[in-house]
Amino acid sequence: MRTYLIDNDKNEYIVDLTKTITHSAEMVEFEFRTIKDQKELNKETIFVRKLADQYFASTDGVRWNKLARQDSPGIMLNVDRVFKLYRGYKPSSLGGGDEGGLFTQMPGKVVKINCKVGDKVTKGQTLLILEAMKMENEIKVGTNGVVKAIHVKAGDTLDNGILMIEVEANSK
Amino acid sequence: MSKITSGNKRILIINRGEIAARIAKACRELGHTAVGVWTDNEVQAKHLEVCDEWVRLPGSTNAETYLNIPNILSVCKKYNIDGVHPGYGFLSENTEFSQVLVDNGIVWIGPHPEAVRVMGDKAVSKEFAKKVGMPVVPGSIGAVKTIEEAIRIGSEIKYPILLKAVAGGGGRGMRTCFNEQDVRDNFEAVGREAASAFKNGDLLVEKFIVNPHHIEVQILADRKGNVFHFFERECSIQRRHQKIVEEAPSPFIGDDEELRQRVCMSAVKLAKAINYDSAGTVELIMGENKEFYFLEMNTRIQVEHPITEEITGIDLIVCMIQSAFGDDLGIPSQEWIKRTGHAIECRICAEDPITMLPAPGTVTGCETNFPQGTRFDNCLYKGLHVTPDFDPMVGKLVVKGILREVAIRKMRAALDGLLLEGLKTNIPLHKVIMRNEVFIAGKYSTNFIATEKPQEQVKTDMNFTSIYKQIAGIEARRMGL
Repeated sequence: MRTYLIDNDKNEYIVDLTKTITHSAEMVEFEFRTIKDQKELNKETIFVRKLADQYFASTDGVRWNKLARQDSPGIMLNVDRVFKLYRGYKPSSLGGGDEGGLFTQMPGKVVKINCKVGDKVTKGQTLLILEAMKMENEIKVGTNGVVKAIHVKAGDTLDNGILMIEVEANSK
Repeated sequence: MSKITSGNKRILIINRGEIAARIAKACRELGHTAVGVWTDNEVQAKHLEVCDEWVRLPGSTNAETYLNIPNILSVCKKYNIDGVHPGYGFLSENTEFSQVLVDNGIVWIGPHPEAVRVMGDKAVSKEFAKKVGMPVVPGSIGAVKTIEEAIRIGSEIKYPILLKAVAGGGGRGMRTCFNEQDVRDNFEAVGREAASAFKNGDLLVEKFIVNPHHIEVQILADRKGNVFHFFERECSIQRRHQKIVEEAPSPFIGDDEELRQRVCMSAVKLAKAINYDSAGTVELIMGENKEFYFLEMNTRIQVEHPITEEITGIDLIVCMIQSAFGDDLGIPSQEWIKRTGHAIECRICAEDPITMLPAPGTVTGCETNFPQGTRFDNCLYKGLHVTPDFDPMVGKLVVKGILREVAIRKMRAALDGLLLEGLKTNIPLHKVIMRNEVFIAGKYSTNFIATEKPQEQVKTDMNFTSIYKQIAGIEARRMGL
């Protein structure tokens, strides 16, 4: 089966299961490959063995690591990157925003907005304060430009991935 | 140690997560009934599984639930509660709450309200410490109400200065200012953060000590006037003024037993002066020259108490409960308390390992494969939603070794054996810290994260093998293996 891994920056990795060999009732061998931008990046064989009601994985059938029990997770992690996981199909559209758009990186509540539409802003300037996990987080703009639109107001409770402020980047 | 007592009290645990579970376990060990609480924000509150009775707190914000004193009092009455354990955070250092309980004949499992009142207020506690002969960091006397006053004190004691919440703790409501402009930029925000987190927006100003060590002494006292220390912890590895790695004993004090003795006994002296009668922690800041100043006293159990339990073998939560009900702790003398080995704790937080910002999410898989003797205080399970409503800490990984290097080795193995999927955590960061040369040498200050930048050494390359293994696990399950 084909698995699509897509992160917030819309990087897309395709993981194909290319071969399955059942060795016994306890052990199976898989071959996977990863494709990105139509290029094969990597190919590996993985063995999975069930032992004492636990799953263990190995690359060589000799050295084994325990696996965390997961049913069919919708997300997968690579250190600091969270991938959305789509098994067997690829979502048609994922949406997105302008280059200078400030999105929430975590759910939170708007405490204060430090800019208004039309303001000239400089890279690194704090445009908004978002309270999340009991901390005040300064949301800074990543470019020099002009505030084009503000979509939220103080007191709003926001989900992850919400466009809060749009900034039109200066051409130079 | 403690006498084998059999309790029959009903104890309300007005907290959640790992600490609620930890307290419930101690209650049950002592034969008490553990009454746990939950809210609609956390219907799957895992700490309940170790509680005997479950009570729902109505409301959707912490102010309506965990901080709602009138409602908690009515819960106490309705459920015939004998004692309340507040854990840490929430109302654990709220004087009004402990006083209300005492006035209603309910045992507060913590120190007497007067100790909470004096020590819970950073300004008052500093004055008190000064009076009993403990050195304090120069700064404002009492709360600073205006930006101008903060600036005046700043120029008087010389920058850098620290703006911090009078009622604060856990690093919230705190900001370093290097000049007048910083004070102007941050004063309001810190006040707001303080008001939202602690219901008190008052701020203090104090001198910021360069390359400091955060050292704290664990205190345990009974209601008969016995005050003991359980040695020190070093908690210098912090980000945003919040601890992430703690160890006991302090590698900075090292084998300087004379200094250790002085530090610990000064904490005992302070606790005795306030007639302290529970578990508490005296926090100190120690400069490069090993001079130390009183920072604050936390009149509650602390997050990092397990490392002290590991090196002394004493169950602090059990002792705290026994002490509150006037029981004998069974500790004959200070000399009787011995320490062996070295313990390390890593706080496992739901946050990005590189930016170290909270990253709420869902745990899709959770399994452990630990070295012998690992302690993992947590409330994790497959399916847990970490929400922005609560602190991002999801567990505490604690190991003990006979030597510090053994503890570090064990912690590396324990981190490798902690399998958490679906949720961004700081586990990769801890793995880097446990291999950092400055950390291994035990020569770090609270600037460790800023100067060593372990977050920049976290490898973020695509780990194809790890991804394949996870998908292989899913496939294997699907095949019915």
